[in-house]
Amino acid sequence: MTPRRAPSVPRSLLVPLAALLCLATLLSAGLSPAAGEGASVPGLSRAETLRLGERIYRGGILSSGEPLTAVVQGDIPVEGTMFSCVSCHLRSGLGSFEGDILTPPTNGDILYQPWDSHIETARLRRGTMEGTSKQRKRTLFYLTRIGEFPSRPAYTDETLADAIREGADPEGRDFIGVMPRYPFGDREMAILIEYLKSLSKDPSPGVTDTTIRFATVVSGEVSRKERDELLVPLDRYVRIYNGHLRRKTRKSTGARAEEVVRLLPADSEPRLVSLVVWELQGSPETWRGQLEEYYRKEPVFALLSGITTKEWRPVHEFCEENAIPSLLPITDLPVVSETGWYTLYFSKGYYQEGETAARHLARTEAPVSGGPVVQVYPDTPEGNAFASGFRDAWNEGGRAPLLEKALPAGTQATREILEEATGKGRRSVLVLWTGAEAIPALNAMTGGDGGVSTIYMSATLLKEGLLAVPEALRDKTYITYPYGLTDTGPGMMYAKKKVTPQITDRRVPGKAAAIYPVLTEIFSWLESNYFRDYMFDIVDASMLVVASPFERITFGPGQRYASKGCYIVQLSKGERPELVRKSGWVVH
Amino acid sequence: MLFLFAIAIAGMIAFEGVAAARDPGYKRSVVRYDVPDVVLVNQDGAKLRLRALIESGKPVVLDFIYGTCTTICPVLSAGYTSVQAKIGPDTRKVQLISISIDPEHDTPKVMKGYLKQYRAKPGWDFLTGSREDIDRVMQAFDSYVTDKMYHRQVTFIRAQGPGEWVRIDGLLGSAELMSEIGKTSKK
Repeated sequence: MTPRRAPSVPRSLLVPLAALLCLATLLSAGLSPAAGEGASVPGLSRAETLRLGERIYRGGILSSGEPLTAVVQGDIPVEGTMFSCVSCHLRSGLGSFEGDILTPPTNGDILYQPWDSHIETARLRRGTMEGTSKQRKRTLFYLTRIGEFPSRPAYTDETLADAIREGADPEGRDFIGVMPRYPFGDREMAILIEYLKSLSKDPSPGVTDTTIRFATVVSGEVSRKERDELLVPLDRYVRIYNGHLRRKTRKSTGARAEEVVRLLPADSEPRLVSLVVWELQGSPETWRGQLEEYYRKEPVFALLSGITTKEWRPVHEFCEENAIPSLLPITDLPVVSETGWYTLYFSKGYYQEGETAARHLARTEAPVSGGPVVQVYPDTPEGNAFASGFRDAWNEGGRAPLLEKALPAGTQATREILEEATGKGRRSVLVLWTGAEAIPALNAMTGGDGGVSTIYMSATLLKEGLLAVPEALRDKTYITYPYGLTDTGPGMMYAKKKVTPQITDRRVPGKAAAIYPVLTEIFSWLESNYFRDYMFDIVDASMLVVASPFERITFGPGQRYASKGCYIVQLSKGERPELVRKSGWVVH
Repeated sequence: MLFLFAIAIAGMIAFEGVAAARDPGYKRSVVRYDVPDVVLVNQDGAKLRLRALIESGKPVVLDFIYGTCTTICPVLSAGYTSVQAKIGPDTRKVQLISISIDPEHDTPKVMKGYLKQYRAKPGWDFLTGSREDIDRVMQAFDSYVTDKMYHRQVTFIRAQGPGEWVRIDGLLGSAELMSEIGKTSKK
């Protein structure tokens, strides 16, 4: 068979079209007698079949435990360890688009439908298209192209198996070369086909005929101010969204309303958004039980943001185990994981500051005198997050051993403690994850020639005390600063560009404001495809440019920390010091 | 009507992706590029001068990928794996370079994990750097994209003349890639 290239199509066209496509996916559910019934796999229960099918689809692992093998581009051998079905068709199975390669849906409800009548419908639709707006031009472009592609009948189990093995549709037309040809045996094929039929078939929990339910998690210790900074605008967003949905109008006055309404779903029976607050009381050890109880009483489709000053881990684990998406919670203590899937965080929080300090030091961008690197931190969740980030990044490169001193919670870092930790006169590099209360001790112990050569601290810990770094220490003190240095939006740490540092806070208003465009993106493309995995597929493919307190936040397939950076800064001399940037936004 | 339209679009996309009625193959051209003198970071955290890597005297193949890429990079990278499998035990004799177009996410750790996934051997470097430097490199190779999702499938093979490259737009098979590498080294 001959590998073929996909036609060139800008991605910006695909996203709305993919959404429409996925509307079709849902609406066509149940129309096909083949879809959902599944192939019979001897000796396997349905649950076991789906488990093994998921392992093939997502992990590229056969039921034998061996990685699958396949061929792409005619003669390039690949293994399941390199990539598998999910790489292109994504978790929801509803397809993707990258560069000019379109990957179509591979869920049973689409595969087991013929296309002929739909192509004709598109041709008719094209004839009615008028106007010159950008969106219409895009749609017209697609409708014009549709005539270039032949129809095909619905797949059957047999023709689908042939397609997966041989790379041709039921009419015998070759697929493009990027679609692997999989030499599956009958058993593996039956397992995979059964799984494909189950993909994005039934709406996820939390969706009724009229409503799609979300929850926001707020822990009890959060201040009223921060709570309101998140919940008031979130609630307002939902009210505006629902108001316009009820009126079923796309016209609006007011800039914010226009932003919401512009991308309202084209779903003929759109669901109203319901947002409830899940209050968590007491110690985090009890949160899991509270979450389970809330969920039992009223399942939700996803969690929208949330806020705590404590560790997010109980909520993270609840979401992982129940496959509930959790979108952009406000926490400085997220779970840092390479395998977590269901929580998209703003950043790695304190951990990310620690990582950045280690990378900055490792790149020898700070003057290092050859003395030991000593990390001092309080033995608290916060202190451990900073310290873990530094330790993990420092140890990545097989560098000199890191000396560490964990201070019992509530213990102040005195001159004696710091001198003992760093070794007087050794010209150490001191990484100090405390607040400004340690600065007098730091100043005293670094005087004369018994001091440390270089110091790392955190702006989020120093808070207003950032100004208390004495002039004598400023040249040797490097400060992690996890937000943008030039933005002046709400909730920024500093009111103006490069001016005297003012009040430090968690920038909740700025973070809350960054959530709205992401929500709008999700609601507009979700259409009627109320599948949790599809929600993250949308965000992962998003090219949104979102204003936020961070220098930049970006999304990507499987990426679960939107802000990837953190600056290293120093204070300038003088009574009204400015922040001086000493690194790029991302330090490698 | 909207529903039908949606179905129609779905059908169209399915055909575009699965059974595109277009000619197979790729576009080959010979071009001159002025590679910027930037220092990038490889999967081991080592700083490398891109020009020095390119001017090593060995055959050089270069592409643009990123660590969490869905469709294009896996095929490009599987192509690199197949090249390394075919050139014999001394995999260093052909310099394979992959440059990240998502440099903020692609840390040395991410890149190392990616290369392990593709069983990369010595001679294949995955490079990241500052966004500014990566943009300069993309622009120099006439491959600049404003977002990684606009990613193009392009492979560059260093030719003999000063600044000369064979530019291949499209995806190749293993034999095709080996043939193109062979052509540039024989000149």
